[in-house]
Amino acid sequence: MTISGHQDMAADGELGSLPGQWQPRLSRRSALRTAVTTGVAVTALAAASAPALAAARPARADRDDTGHDVAAHDAGSAEAAPGEPVIAHVRDARTGEIDVFRGTSRVRVRDPALAALLVRASR
Amino acid sequence: MSSHREAPEISKDPVADSTDVYAFISPDQPSTVTLIANYIPLQGPAGGPNFYEFGDDVLYEIHVDNNGDGYADITYQFRFTTKLETPSSFLYNTGPISSLSDSTWNSKQFYSVTRIKGFDTRVLGTGLACPPCNIGPLSTPHYEAKLGKPAVQSLPGGIQVFAGQRAEEFYVDLGSIFDLADLRPLQSANVFAHALGLPNQPGVNATNHLNVHSIALQVPISQLVSNGRPTIGVWTSASRQTVSVRGDTGGHPVASGPWKQVSRLGNPLFNEVLVPLGKKDYWNTQQPVHDKQFASYVAHPELAALLPVIYPAIPPGKAPFAHLAALVKAGKPRTDLEAILLTGIPAGIIPGFTNYTGPVQADLVRLNTSIPPTPKSSPKYSTLGLIGGDAGGFPNGRRVEDDVVTIELRAIAGATYPLVSPGYQVDAVVSVLSDGLTGKSVTSKPLATFPYLGVPYDGYHHPS
Repeated sequence: MTISGHQDMAADGELGSLPGQWQPRLSRRSALRTAVTTGVAVTALAAASAPALAAARPARADRDDTGHDVAAHDAGSAEAAPGEPVIAHVRDARTGEIDVFRGTSRVRVRDPALAALLVRASR
Repeated sequence: MSSHREAPEISKDPVADSTDVYAFISPDQPSTVTLIANYIPLQGPAGGPNFYEFGDDVLYEIHVDNNGDGYADITYQFRFTTKLETPSSFLYNTGPISSLSDSTWNSKQFYSVTRIKGFDTRVLGTGLACPPCNIGPLSTPHYEAKLGKPAVQSLPGGIQVFAGQRAEEFYVDLGSIFDLADLRPLQSANVFAHALGLPNQPGVNATNHLNVHSIALQVPISQLVSNGRPTIGVWTSASRQTVSVRGDTGGHPVASGPWKQVSRLGNPLFNEVLVPLGKKDYWNTQQPVHDKQFASYVAHPELAALLPVIYPAIPPGKAPFAHLAALVKAGKPRTDLEAILLTGIPAGIIPGFTNYTGPVQADLVRLNTSIPPTPKSSPKYSTLGLIGGDAGGFPNGRRVEDDVVTIELRAIAGATYPLVSPGYQVDAVVSVLSDGLTGKSVTSKPLATFPYLGVPYDGYHHPS
């Protein structure tokens, strides 16, 4: 199982380069650097199994569509509470592309075996 | 409408539907700017038993760009939480509500305000109380004194905030405008109305006696502008989390994932009138800094091409929009509209006035904070704003009473084209082009003090 920091950035991290994605320029670049460096660490952390994936939280500051660091959101919305649901969206079973949502974060992973497992479980 | 139900998707999600943005120098506190974002359109005041509330699952934001790059430099975030006093009761209130903390009020709503400025995120207030909806004289007696006014809260830094129900101050004759661009005062010239023999008639304010939910901030100007740049750009947005799962959670969906913008608003009528139907939902997801992709709809507005067709020459009269028709046929871009809506008006075009923020095209309400408010008692005061000779009004910011429907109708019809092409002759009909409404068409008048929007209509008397 891998978590591609670059893919993740292209979806939610590199907001400023996509039409309509807003954030202060300086902080965007900073966030990109952070995402690139921490994405590798997350790969290792989540390399074991689906439960490990569910437990793993990227150390980087994720970005949302409003352009702010998720950690910047108020009222504790950024921190996943104990027992908070983790939601997986199999985007493409063939390539194994899965979006995993928790709290106000999204992580995109590419794991054909896990995707196949989820597809089988859904039948 | 300004932006009420202006796009297919957001029309199905009223609590996240931004309807109007106002930004103006506070007339009674001229060292401050008032920023207002309205949501939840077309509220019938009698809409119980579950009266209107902000969405607990919606992230509401008011953004300010103060350096002209089209990105927000300051963002105020608002999050709401609903608390039931008596979950076992089906009632919104179990007796008269005499204060914001009255236990007879069952469904209370509270909110937090957070300011994001660069890397500085600061919670300005939490547990702030919204007022209840204005139900009627038995449930919400002395509404403004006991509930509306006490809901104006002070935040650090001399900021005032209000969030809750208000009267709809935006006026428009929806019924006629969306009936094939009929304008009742001119409908004898409308090709379809003429065929039916309909005479000219006064306008009808379709939004009168309806309410909205307002988020209002009054902020010292010094906290909003950057050095040497008095003009700010303002817009609002509403976002929802990416995923919503309905299931075994007591009827409340589980929301998860990053926030995704589902609604935004700067200038009135931008998405509603200029952006084509197939792009409206997409527009709502986009950030203003990328509005160049919509600039062609501003430069070549569909409505400008339709007016000469819908109001053709009806013998023995001449074509009322002959000059506009020629302008459209020439295919020249409406750089006047692009300036008004996307960049601000550069210096040197209107003597003594500019609200230009730079070349970045972004739909923002641009307010030059160095221009003092025009007193209502002044002969210069005009709800037609800049086209009425009043630089204190739209499109220099937007005041509550500004007649933005008439202003934008006339602008699209060519009234502002001489600003960029002095030789252009404006059609005579443009000077009377209107849906026939004024601020007098609104029953609940704006307040003289913050939050300026009028007392919401109560459900006992409206509809009558």
